[in-house]
Amino acid sequence: MTMSGEHKVKVENLTKYFDDLHVLDDVSFNIRKGEFLCVVGPTGCGKTTFLNLLTRIYMPTRGQLYIDGEPADPKKHNLSVVFQEPSAMPWLTVDKNLRFGMEIKNLPKEEIERRIENMIGLLGLEQFRERYPHQLSASTAQRIIIGRAFAMQPDLLLMDEPYGQMDIKLRFYLEDEVIRLWKEMGTTVVFITHNIEEAVYLAERILILTNKPARIREEVTVDLPRPRDVSDPEFIKIRNHVTEQIKWW
Amino acid sequence: MDKKKQVILSLRNISHSFIVKNEVKAAVSDVSLDVYDNEFLVVLGPGHSGKTVLMNVIAGIEKLVEGKIYLRGEEIHGSNRSIGMVFQSLNLMPWRTVMQNVEFGLELAGLDKKQRRLIAQKHIDLVRLSGFESAYPHELSGGMKQRVGIARAYANNPEILIMDEPFGALDAQTRYAMEEEVLRIWKEEKRTVIFVTNNIEEAVYLADRIVLLSNCPARVKHIYDLSSLGRPRNMMDPEFLRIRTEISQNTDLAL
Amino acid sequence: MEKGMSGKHAIQLSQAEIREQRLNLLYKILPILSVLLLIGLWLYASRGYNPKVGSGFPTPAAVWDRTVRLFTAPVKKRSLIMHALVSLRRIGIALAFDWTFGIVFGIIIGWYAKPRAFFSPMFDAFRAVPPLAWIPLITLWFGIGEFPKILIVIFGSLASIVVNVKAGLSTVDRMYLDVGTVFNASPMQTLIKIAIPSSLDAIFAGVRTSTSAAWMVVLAAEMLGADAGVGFLISRGMDSIDMPLVLTGMIAIGIVGAILAILTQLVERLICPWTRKSK
Repeated sequence: MTMSGEHKVKVENLTKYFDDLHVLDDVSFNIRKGEFLCVVGPTGCGKTTFLNLLTRIYMPTRGQLYIDGEPADPKKHNLSVVFQEPSAMPWLTVDKNLRFGMEIKNLPKEEIERRIENMIGLLGLEQFRERYPHQLSASTAQRIIIGRAFAMQPDLLLMDEPYGQMDIKLRFYLEDEVIRLWKEMGTTVVFITHNIEEAVYLAERILILTNKPARIREEVTVDLPRPRDVSDPEFIKIRNHVTEQIKWW
Repeated sequence: MDKKKQVILSLRNISHSFIVKNEVKAAVSDVSLDVYDNEFLVVLGPGHSGKTVLMNVIAGIEKLVEGKIYLRGEEIHGSNRSIGMVFQSLNLMPWRTVMQNVEFGLELAGLDKKQRRLIAQKHIDLVRLSGFESAYPHELSGGMKQRVGIARAYANNPEILIMDEPFGALDAQTRYAMEEEVLRIWKEEKRTVIFVTNNIEEAVYLADRIVLLSNCPARVKHIYDLSSLGRPRNMMDPEFLRIRTEISQNTDLAL
Repeated sequence: MEKGMSGKHAIQLSQAEIREQRLNLLYKILPILSVLLLIGLWLYASRGYNPKVGSGFPTPAAVWDRTVRLFTAPVKKRSLIMHALVSLRRIGIALAFDWTFGIVFGIIIGWYAKPRAFFSPMFDAFRAVPPLAWIPLITLWFGIGEFPKILIVIFGSLASIVVNVKAGLSTVDRMYLDVGTVFNASPMQTLIKIAIPSSLDAIFAGVRTSTSAAWMVVLAAEMLGADAGVGFLISRGMDSIDMPLVLTGMIAIGIVGAILAILTQLVERLICPWTRKSK
């Protein structure tokens, strides 16, 4: 167990009621700096509310969230979110889209240029720089959003099922890419997904939530070397275990 | 083990094009295929590969322009009572209750109310929606709406049932549950099923055979026979994963 | 920071939630403020009112008095309510015709291409003529009895329903038609079981707009020669320089119009429960 000084994010007793609806119940956990954490749970267990609490769109009924030891504050701390629907601005080119967040935060020009060059290289989007999102496929548009989020170098990057309905081949490609980006930028990532294979493929640690009111059922450490092999017996063992924990059907 | 397999549907040299923005775009290119009686055939292809167009041609929604379709040896044109469809985007009529939606085909065929209700009820029970007969579609969840679509198609008693990416809009876990449901229903009411999807795992889980289509324009790339994988299938079984990887490597990437 | 427990659970709200609550409160207060402002303006505008000479703008109190007097000393032997009923009767008959003929006609030209091509130019021309422009012609033809008034209302409200029904029937969602194709529906079955039900919301839009159009037109028709009806009250007031009467009439018109709108909305919700947005 690492010392609390090394924890980037601390969540303590997070509880949320919407009037009488008890959505989250006493959720506590820590995230190390640069860790890749996956959150899984049965459908409708409150994962989106969980995400909204982490981004401070909602305030918890009880409990607190700390970033770098201080209470989380959207003005001070830098939080990025990637959603399932591609949210690229249709009126901006790929290049401008990637710059967008950083320009809003008023980062120095040379820094923005440096990060953009780096990100375009990592994503392999050199030839698409001046294209508009509607000229690209949905998956490429989504990759731009992810690139934009990473380029912000946020304190915490939240991803809510960004690869929702894509087929396996595409997914594996995108998952490899997000790991590449993560390794390169050292960002602390919380990745929410329904897809257990995806969670086991990506995560260093998996948080398993219960049904509403959501609690942490279990934390599973995934200690497999990368790149991971989905047919490896160890991989399958972990996947089986996590599936058992949330199977409701 | 090798039962005499009868061909129920035969596609020969089907091609189809569209005019998009003054350009002729080919969606389906020279597809020939045999479908066996009572098999669960999965048509697998990357997104926008033209699979839906192919299905629409078979079901009669799109006009058959090039190629021929034979049902039990006889040539068919346009829609046919023997071919039913579960649509990708639900297409449930929002002004009808679940019961009224399920009995739609029967109503068109002219059955009297008593008969219709009986048959429709049987199928509502089959898809495990008993109790929701008077609900409207907007009151149902995604998975439940799909089940109504399946009940509606089955109630019309087609010999061949086309399911066009019915679970595309559902989340992973509901999808797994629905895949098990579809197999259960297929076992109980054996029909020929042509199931269309872009999800390789789903295809390997469900299919007797998989027809792999290329990117647009759709061509048959390969046909996989999965009879070596028994049922029920386990998605984490090594053989399952091996086949999945093999198919995945053969699939065109729609990046 | 945890607040002290009060009630079931401590409710602490984020900035965003607090702002939203305040906005909701504001949205409730603003309409009330505007009404109060209006009444204030009215009081201000009517400060020079002299009932004897009839100059200036009537005060709210004067209007109220006049309204009350209408009940005790009816104009042309009818109370306010009875005048309103007369107007309503006129639009009732007109709308009954509108909705039967208009819906059938709208279905025909919406669904079938040949009738649409044949009738459209004629109908569009008819639509372009404002209802009030028909008044002189109809008055010359038929005089100023009940029938011409009802005819004017029909001319003024028929277009709304036809246009809406036509729009509904000509834009039936391809999805539902595909279902009909796969299930082998005959053309008549497609029209009756798919096209018309899917257009119910457009048909009701037509019902709503034709109702409000009818209400507006009937008043114009009444003002130009009638001896009963709310429009008549207004013209009577104008003739006898009875401003409070004019205002009474106007307020009554507004209230009835609002009631009609609410009623039609309620009926739509009852008949088409699926158009309610589900969450």
